[in-house]
Amino acid sequence: MAPLALLKDTRDLPLSGSTQDSSLRGEVPAATATRANGAGGSVLSVDRVRLGYWGNRGFHLAVEEATFDVKARERLIVIGQSGSGKSTLLKAVAGFIAPTDGAITVAGRTSLAPGPDRAVVFQEFDQLFPWRSVLENVAYPLRVNGWRRREGAARAREYLELTGLSHAADRYPHELSGGMKQRVAIARALALEPVILLMDEPFGSLDAITRARLQRELNAILERTQTTLFFVTHSIDEALILGERVVVLHGSPSTVREIVDVEDVGPPDSPGYAEMRIRLRELLAIEGEDDGDA
Amino acid sequence: MATPSAAVPARPRGALLRWGRLPTWFRYLVLLAALIGIWQAYKSISGVDDLLFSSPRDVADAFWTGWREGTLARTTWTTLKILAVGIGIGALVALTLVAFAALSQIGEDLLRMLVAIFNPLPGVAVLPLALLWFGLNTNALLFVIANAAAWPIAINLSTGFKTVNPTIVAVGRNIGLSSRRLITDVLAPAALPYAITGLKTAWAFGWRTIIAAELIFGVAGADGGLGTYINNAKLFLMIPQVFAGLVTIAILGMAFEVLFGVLERRTIVRWGMKTST
Ligand SMILES: Nc1ncnc2c1ncn2[C@@H]1O[C@H](COP(=O)(O)OP(=O)(O)O)[C@@H](O)[C@H]1O
Ligand SMILES: [Mg+2]
Repeated sequence: MAPLALLKDTRDLPLSGSTQDSSLRGEVPAATATRANGAGGSVLSVDRVRLGYWGNRGFHLAVEEATFDVKARERLIVIGQSGSGKSTLLKAVAGFIAPTDGAITVAGRTSLAPGPDRAVVFQEFDQLFPWRSVLENVAYPLRVNGWRRREGAARAREYLELTGLSHAADRYPHELSGGMKQRVAIARALALEPVILLMDEPFGSLDAITRARLQRELNAILERTQTTLFFVTHSIDEALILGERVVVLHGSPSTVREIVDVEDVGPPDSPGYAEMRIRLRELLAIEGEDDGDA
Repeated sequence: MATPSAAVPARPRGALLRWGRLPTWFRYLVLLAALIGIWQAYKSISGVDDLLFSSPRDVADAFWTGWREGTLARTTWTTLKILAVGIGIGALVALTLVAFAALSQIGEDLLRMLVAIFNPLPGVAVLPLALLWFGLNTNALLFVIANAAAWPIAINLSTGFKTVNPTIVAVGRNIGLSSRRLITDVLAPAALPYAITGLKTAWAFGWRTIIAAELIFGVAGADGGLGTYINNAKLFLMIPQVFAGLVTIAILGMAFEVLFGVLERRTIVRWGMKTST
């Protein structure tokens, strides 16, 4: 069944923006309510942040300085070449590593530990719990966050429907294709109704066709849920297809080279798109033939 | 059954080649019957002394009598009880060491060293010391079993925890799990394949060790186990009983194989977490 067809039917799907199914939403823990907080303001602010790792040979700087913010319902893409510290930045926002300088503020709070208000979708296919069924992978995090079993399962089913996975609810992760696994991870993250959804190259390990399909689907889903997005990629096309603004990381250790507005570039075959593509390639300092990267 | 018929060329085959199409249990049953037949044939033809070798019929008699009258049942129960408690103690020791190893470098080094020293040691090798320390009683056996079981469990658990996929741990923290639930709900199931392997090895080591230890023990009062049963039967020249004891050991060994098989199929095989077969 095509998930996109499902998306057209707007009646009984869990939405943050439109329908107000309060019986469901009444159960949502604190995280959801805080999104209202970002009305017009920024949900995430990264302020002069410096990031690195302590290793055997002392401190290894990954991000020299980064400053940007993400507004409510915005889709922000961080783009950079491999090793430019994109994942490091995302891990810092998620709360896995602390900045050595500067501040990361999410919905008004700083120095956050990892939490479901910043649900993460990783690149790796093995981010699902192998011992839980697809439905349980989505429902279990809800229970952890105070949902009762039945309500959690019902909500999990809604999000599986949203990602076109209803038919696979009872399967185990090892019985799924890579694309399906990533869809489950997306459903799991969205079901938590995060203040901001963090994605670290979630389609990076997929074949080109599946990747293009999932990009389209994600677009449609975010259209529905109005989730604020922080998306990390090295693909210019992915950035242009999904993003509204693009933060370009450059160098290693990296700095923010530029923040580009890409909301109005148009479809991939338009002149505006091609122009923007060239501009981003220059900003990323990519040399040689343009053989497409999405 | 998953093989499409097209993949199997329709070669004319002899009747014997149909063997593979028979149900598994039936194939094993036929083989078992054949083995018992050879056993009986050897017994009848060679005319070997009853004091050296029993016929299958005598063994079957001794086996049924032993279980009906309770001698075999009682001794089996004693052995299994000591084995279970011994492996339990071993597992606790292993768990403590692994937890300590997870928390500190010195704990990790200690675990590695202890495993390197004690794991290659055959379980029964510590029996003389155990007898010296605990006397001729159950405690000595428990010590020997716990020692045989602790090391395979410790190695496997520690490997299991060390090789947990870091992405899954990150997901666990991301969805807001407390440290305690991270351990029970993520680390423990993620390490389950190794835990099962550890337990299987512990069981196999413990099982061999306890039978050997009981055989060496010889008479140990009314509370003897299977090894003691065999040893006593030999002393009183009740050869069919010796064989019946061996049959019991073999059957129990197979039963535990099946049990572990079921456990694995319901868990790690079902979840696609079993890597080797
Ligand atoms: N766990 C780590 N420990 C030490 N250095 C790391 C670690 N993870 C990443 N790095 C280093 O930090 C830099 C940025 O890495 P990363 O954020 O993964 O880049 P990207 O995601 O853009 O490819 C690289 O130089 C990388 O080697
Ligand atoms: Mg990365």
